Amino acid sequence: MKTSLFKTLAHQVKRQAGRLFALGLAVGVVASMASAGTAEAHGEKSQAAFLRMRTLNWYDLKWSKTQINVNEEFTISGKLHIMNAWPAAVAEPRVAFLNMGMPGPVAVRKTSFIGEQFVPRSIALDKAKTYAFAMTARGRRPGRWHVHVQLSVETGGPIPGPGQYIEIKGSMADFTNPVTLLNGETIDLETYGINKIYVWHFLWMLAGAVYIGWWFKKGGFVGRFNAVANGEQDTIISPQERTAGAVVLAVTLLVIIVSYAVTSSQYPNTIPLQAGNIRNLTALPDLDSGLKVKYVRGSYQVPGRELVAEYIITNNGKEPVRIGEFGTAGLRFLNPDVFTQKPEYPDYLLADKGLTLSDNAPIGPGETKNITVTIKDARWDTERLSGLAYDVDSSFAGLMFFFTPSGERYPIETGGFVIPTFLPV
Amino acid sequence: MFRGKPTKAGPVTESISASPGIEGGAGASAPVRAADAGAADRSWPVTGTPFKNRAEATFLVSAADTLLLISLFLIVLGGYHIHAMLTMGDWDFWIDWKDRRFWPTVLPIVLVTFPAAAIYYFWEHFRLPFGATFCVLGLLVGEWINRYVNFWGWTYFPISLVWPTALVPMALFLDLVMLISGSWIITMIVGAMGWGLLLYPSNWPILAPYHLPMEREGLVMSLADLIGYEYVRTSMPEYIRIVERGTMRTFGKDVVPVAAFFSGFVSILVFFMWWYVGKLFSTTKYMAKI
Repeated sequence: MKTSLFKTLAHQVKRQAGRLFALGLAVGVVASMASAGTAEAHGEKSQAAFLRMRTLNWYDLKWSKTQINVNEEFTISGKLHIMNAWPAAVAEPRVAFLNMGMPGPVAVRKTSFIGEQFVPRSIALDKAKTYAFAMTARGRRPGRWHVHVQLSVETGGPIPGPGQYIEIKGSMADFTNPVTLLNGETIDLETYGINKIYVWHFLWMLAGAVYIGWWFKKGGFVGRFNAVANGEQDTIISPQERTAGAVVLAVTLLVIIVSYAVTSSQYPNTIPLQAGNIRNLTALPDLDSGLKVKYVRGSYQVPGRELVAEYIITNNGKEPVRIGEFGTAGLRFLNPDVFTQKPEYPDYLLADKGLTLSDNAPIGPGETKNITVTIKDARWDTERLSGLAYDVDSSFAGLMFFFTPSGERYPIETGGFVIPTFLPV
Repeated sequence: MFRGKPTKAGPVTESISASPGIEGGAGASAPVRAADAGAADRSWPVTGTPFKNRAEATFLVSAADTLLLISLFLIVLGGYHIHAMLTMGDWDFWIDWKDRRFWPTVLPIVLVTFPAAAIYYFWEHFRLPFGATFCVLGLLVGEWINRYVNFWGWTYFPISLVWPTALVPMALFLDLVMLISGSWIITMIVGAMGWGLLLYPSNWPILAPYHLPMEREGLVMSLADLIGYEYVRTSMPEYIRIVERGTMRTFGKDVVPVAAFFSGFVSILVFFMWWYVGKLFSTTKYMAKI
């Protein structure tokens, strides 16, 4: 009896199992879709913490506008410090490219400068140097787009910097991209030459299709397979067909030769693609701060999202200085005693009260102080920099900004090994 | 599961030669599909035929032809397209990669593969001289769908940045040499050489306007360079481009013919290998157990 009952139950379960599984799967899929949020940018967070902290430091970033119309231009400018702490795991930026990170060409890049040099090609940058940069783009596709600065390094890959939302209004149909050629002619680069592309491709593809269709109509696959299988391979193509083929061949070659000759006479002055690296870029001059900043030791508290770093700082300058900011991987940790107003900067990267000092008094000229700097904010975690506790050489780097009463600012690169404190298990 | 159970009656054999659905099956000189299938039914019934009448035979053969044509086209479109994207890749994707050295060298060499195999298949089994054109047309249909829907429709790269290389004239040359010569050796030597030589001149009418010079901020750039620079590709730093690199300086600025001849020579070798690839896979012996 028992056996029979179990058998019946097992049979029922077996019958319903597939349906239940399918139902559960459907519920799961619908539930996960319902909870899905809007796709956002910030893919740069996926890069390893050491890569973002120890390769570059972007600062003084400014987006000239965050709302523009189609055909209107905006500029991203700022400074780019190539860290001396550049990790051994990444190739040095001897071949690099200053780029924009955006979802497709929502804006067309009109210029990009390092210092005074226009850099549409690859560039060579030096470690421990700081470069001023500026990029201008013209609004093309309406929408709200996250636009990043980015430096790509050969064999190292792209290293995106901070991003800002740019809202472009209007209609893409109104977008124009006038360019003046060396011969004085002005063209619209957005549409230039496209009809010619369509016409030539269409004509050649039509010719190919007609050629295939013509042969296909002569017996199709089955009929011709039959014929070849029955030994008619030498007679199935007639001499007239071969002659017609020769004529088509001659016409094909004639079209190629004539179109080439006509095009060459139509465009007598063409140049090859331009390539090659741009070297000897001018870096910003080193500031004579008179500061000596010695990193002693540090620890990173994974549970508290807190970096504690001990320094011995000697001020050999003429003015007292205060530590006002620590910047790394695009994040800005500010000392609220120095920054009394919140600066304009993407909020997801700005910890306006993220930096505290063991001694907040200015360091006077000729004075040496032991200062413990605490850099604490949830953005360590949200920007995935807390991963430094799991890096291969567990160290950090960034720029420490010192301020004087007269308004001078000295960015000093700093960093070193840290001892991680992990989450209690 | 495809193996039939043995029956006492034994296997039914269908003689291809007895199939009268096509005029010019066995014993006929020209395999022409019957034009007046309904009217010319006086020869039926034919012994051993699986068809009820000539109309049914004509319809079914025509349907089989059409299905095969569409299937093969889609197979070639998918297979050749993937092969092309993985091998020629950026040289065909972007206008600022279409240089005088690598573009006319790389593309013919990596693209002569499928056409060589297809020429074997279509020529040896059907005496149809359109293997290369068939492949190239499939590739271009796939590429245009990709470039228009993905590159333009999705990410708004202008077509001037992403147009595919025109390949039909090269393919026609290859096929027509096969047709006229009837020899795969001549097709390999003359056709594959022409395949390599014709890429640049065939595409020059499209490309030339984009090689006009302009000046920006003290640098001279071709329009092709400018399009590549202005229409931002976040994951395409300039140094990725392999443009005019190498030491081939002996011929001054006339590097295209040298590159094209080199490409033609290598295309001959690749054609040779892929002809045998075609031979290897143009068989039903792998299906013998199915």
